[in-house]
Amino acid sequence: MSAAIAIAVLGTALSLNGVFRGWAWLVPAITTVCTVAMTLAALRALRAHSLLTTLGGLVSLAFILAFTFFRQQSIAGFVPAGETFDQFGKFLKRAGETLVSETAPVAPNAGIVFVACASLGLVVVLIDALAVPLGMPATSGLGLLAVLVFPATIKPQGAGLLGFLAAAIGFILILGCSQWFAPDSRLPTDNARGTGQLKRSMVIGAVALVLGLLLPLAIPGFERGTFPVGSRLNPWGVSNGLNPMITLGNSLRNPTGDGRITYATSSTAPVYLRSVTIDRFDGDTWAPDDREASRRLGPGRMAPDYPLPSDLVRQLTVVDTGQFTSPYLPVPYAPTAVNGLSGRWSWDPETLSIRAEDTNTRNQQYTVYSALPTLTSALLSQDNARPTSISQDFIQLPSNVPDIVKNTAKTVTAGANGNYAKAMAIQDYLRSSQFSYSLQAPVQGGYDGNGMSVLADFLEQKSGYCVHFASAMAVMARLAGIPSRIAVGYAPGHSTGVTVAVAGQEPLPEFEVDARDAHAWPELYFEGVGWVAFEPTPSRGVVPPYASEPASAGSPSTNLHDENLTPGSSTPQPSASAVPPLAGPGVGTGTSTGFGTVLYVVAGALLLAVMAASPRLVRSAIRARRLKPPRAGQIRSGGGAGPAPSGDGPALAWAELQDLATDYGIPPVPSETPRHFAARLRNSAVLGASAAALAGAADETAADNAGQQAVASLAGDFERQRYGPPGDPAANGAAEQANAAAARIVAVRAAFRRNASWIAVLRADWFPPSLMSRWFQLLWSPFHWLGGILAAAARRVAASSQRLFGSIRWRR
Amino acid sequence: MDSKRHGTVDEPLLRDEAVVALPPERETFNGHKPPVMDPAQFHAASEKILAAINKVIDGKAEAAKLALTVLLAQGHLLVEDVPGVGKTLLAKTLARTIDCKVSRIQFTPDLLPSDVTGVSIYNQSSRQFEFRMGAVFANIVIGDEINRASAKTQSALLECMEEHQVTVDGHSYQLAEPFMVVATQNPIEMEGTYPLPEAQRDRFMARISMGYPDKLSEIEMLETHQAVSPLAKVTPVVTSSDVAAMIASVQQVFVSQSVKEYTVALGRATRDSARLRLGASPRSLLQLLRAAKATAALDGRDFVLPDDVMSVAESVLAHRIILDRKAASSGDTPQSIIRAILGSLPVSQDAGAEHRGN
Repeated sequence: MSAAIAIAVLGTALSLNGVFRGWAWLVPAITTVCTVAMTLAALRALRAHSLLTTLGGLVSLAFILAFTFFRQQSIAGFVPAGETFDQFGKFLKRAGETLVSETAPVAPNAGIVFVACASLGLVVVLIDALAVPLGMPATSGLGLLAVLVFPATIKPQGAGLLGFLAAAIGFILILGCSQWFAPDSRLPTDNARGTGQLKRSMVIGAVALVLGLLLPLAIPGFERGTFPVGSRLNPWGVSNGLNPMITLGNSLRNPTGDGRITYATSSTAPVYLRSVTIDRFDGDTWAPDDREASRRLGPGRMAPDYPLPSDLVRQLTVVDTGQFTSPYLPVPYAPTAVNGLSGRWSWDPETLSIRAEDTNTRNQQYTVYSALPTLTSALLSQDNARPTSISQDFIQLPSNVPDIVKNTAKTVTAGANGNYAKAMAIQDYLRSSQFSYSLQAPVQGGYDGNGMSVLADFLEQKSGYCVHFASAMAVMARLAGIPSRIAVGYAPGHSTGVTVAVAGQEPLPEFEVDARDAHAWPELYFEGVGWVAFEPTPSRGVVPPYASEPASAGSPSTNLHDENLTPGSSTPQPSASAVPPLAGPGVGTGTSTGFGTVLYVVAGALLLAVMAASPRLVRSAIRARRLKPPRAGQIRSGGGAGPAPSGDGPALAWAELQDLATDYGIPPVPSETPRHFAARLRNSAVLGASAAALAGAADETAADNAGQQAVASLAGDFERQRYGPPGDPAANGAAEQANAAAARIVAVRAAFRRNASWIAVLRADWFPPSLMSRWFQLLWSPFHWLGGILAAAARRVAASSQRLFGSIRWRR
Repeated sequence: MDSKRHGTVDEPLLRDEAVVALPPERETFNGHKPPVMDPAQFHAASEKILAAINKVIDGKAEAAKLALTVLLAQGHLLVEDVPGVGKTLLAKTLARTIDCKVSRIQFTPDLLPSDVTGVSIYNQSSRQFEFRMGAVFANIVIGDEINRASAKTQSALLECMEEHQVTVDGHSYQLAEPFMVVATQNPIEMEGTYPLPEAQRDRFMARISMGYPDKLSEIEMLETHQAVSPLAKVTPVVTSSDVAAMIASVQQVFVSQSVKEYTVALGRATRDSARLRLGASPRSLLQLLRAAKATAALDGRDFVLPDDVMSVAESVLAHRIILDRKAASSGDTPQSIIRAILGSLPVSQDAGAEHRGN
């Protein structure tokens, strides 16, 4: 039993795989769960009181946690001491920080693993307590669910099939074990009954499992709705990422669009708000590099390490972050000073990203002064030299760049001379009609996220969203020799129509962005100009004038004011200007559906009507066939060698009576004799036993009496036919007999109809239970068969394991 | 004759007669096959017997019917109940309603087997050993408090019950037909008794408990039985040849294949039940079916229904099965387990099945 619980919990814990990075957390989790489960089993084997067992489980949990995590601070390595609790508090705090600031997959630091192990151990104790002493094994599913909820809500891919399967199998195992071992021994262990229940629970479990797996596939539209595939409930607000690259997709898919940030700017165009940059492209997932060594405190005056041109456009932006929670401050590029922040903040002179030291961005109002050189394509074209004044970090690539990326970069930049031309070639390539913008495609294709392998997939599938476009451009730029980085933040968003008064300025137009405007874009370095933003993502953001193709000169100006800036434009629509042929799936299908829909509806309605009526039709057909008098040619006179075929008449009539009674709520019981059944029928209210006793209106009782007599004679005939000696002389008048039987059935039916409630009559007419149950049996028979096999296998496993354990105990 | 306290044998002497070996189907009655009674007569006769018994014993129609069933099925009856509920009265009434030879043995620890079966004594005048018949040479033998006699004596009676003959000094003596033993047993006061072993309990076709009468019956009993013994008024209503004919017609009752299957399934279910240490023996199933036939005949039918099997199953099987220790300690009784088995054993009555009886 405890083993089953341990297996169930561990199986469920497997689904935590995506929540933590790597598998390092698994070992402590396994030791914790196994230790607790074994303690519980041992205590139970010693026949300890059930309360004591649960307490023992908790104590063992405390010991194993102390042993795993606070070995130095504990007495004798595992008894928690005062210091342990201090450490415990620290761990909790750390875990809390991790929860607030990181998103899946998080690094498995001691704090969060500690919390995970502790909760898994608690779940084991809880399930054990529910399943064994309280005798409610079914409710133990709640504990498993509690474990399963975390990955389901946090992981971008959901809990995962494996975890779900493991949890379900573990749950069925718990149910099965609770039947086998009859933990209370309160019930006499009747084998037949035990296996019967086991079989039943196996069947139910298997059916539920199969349904749970098949239903989402069968029902169309399951991928949309409140939580489309890939978007998950995020209970802590939005985009709270240490690794914003991961959350970005989620934010974009979030249908509600919370985490609203408003800003008012003196810029002529709405600005990109940049939170952080990503410049190291190694490892499985790309993460911001905080460069702790070179960070400087106090963003009051900031200046980049690299040279800037002298003619800068200075801007002022007032930002209100509202509920947005992140350690990184969203600011327009390139900030020269930030005023009005609360808490300690630091900035990185190489990337100019601003990070909180002891606070976060929640409810911050601040003013950003930024400066940007006036960029023109002419200015950018001047630079062709290899950059010298910035760190090599921005040009380095890991060794594992997939070939497809290299080849693509080579082909795309083949004809271009100069860094700017190369950059434009890459951007044009990505914005070309080969690529489409899709939030769902990466999820379905399994390359949601980032990293080199994801990039390869993206270049193959040619469908993705800003993260993919931005990282593709950044990596390809480096391959072409241009320093690059990925900026993560917000696209300009849309105007609120409000102006904000700022001291010393004329009223500034206000804009707002929310989670749906989350964006990533590449920044490329040009010597003497600095970092320049590009926009390779089709249909998102705005393409800056300098980055627009001179050939398509008509579009850049309109692009600044296109629909992306109007309210409610968050849905990804192909913007008409830049990428005309980008047709989303589902756009083209709208026109041709008109007639088809009508056809479908009519066909569906017909099918529905037939389906609704079919039980009634089939039932009537069966009745007619049963009561049909045998054809003259079929009648052999009773003197023949074989039994008279008419002998089946009473049996058929009896079967009809049984079904009729079933339809009206009196199903026959297998252990009942015909006589018993008839007696029960005659005593039942539907045959008017009570009404007859009360002596109602004369005609009513007459009808009831007719029904009563009909039942009695039907039963008598059937008994004689079934149990009586063969060669019954009554068999001669087969046709007359059949007619009599039919008349009796009609009488019984009339009595039923009058005495039953109208609901029962309706049900008997349209959903005859006799038929429905038979159909269900037919439907379920494969499952029964499967369940039988499963139960047999499980029994064999249980028997062999019992033998094994038994021998071990004996040897000891 | 009721006043005899010890094993009493008050039967007339019979000349020893060599007896042919008993055929397995005991259809012989004094050497020739008895006529089969027609249904109407059968019904009338059985009604008369039951009415007579019910006149004496108030409110025990079920017990009376079962006793008659056992008689017609050629079985033996074990009546087990506390003292004073009319065990002996039932046995005696049944015996008196039939015009046949009745003997009664009061079992005591010092009763000898020869008291039951009979003994050969030397006749001085004829200078020969003569067989003096024991109490068992009667149509209905009432064995009172059978568990008080020693095992040896019990066995002597039980041998007679099974074989319908007595073997003394190398001679076999055929017992009268119909032959029925009605033994009573007191389940209280068990000290100093010799409880019937399982093997011997198996010889009795049915065991019944009288049970206390209901309130009205008890009041009526107080009124009617105050002055005179009701037994005195009982006069025979049928002759022993009538009974033989009735037995013969019971043997003619048809048993269909599905009823046989049901009976066998019932037996197997008792053997397979985890709550029973000992299930029903094949002999018990034979007796069960015979009792069912008698029930069917008493019900005026010439074929057996599963209902007939069900109605006698409890009485026929309950004293033969032995509970598992766990079941006994959890409050189950043999009766309750048989009821449970009957309640879960399916009766094949799906009309689609072919007529297996043919």
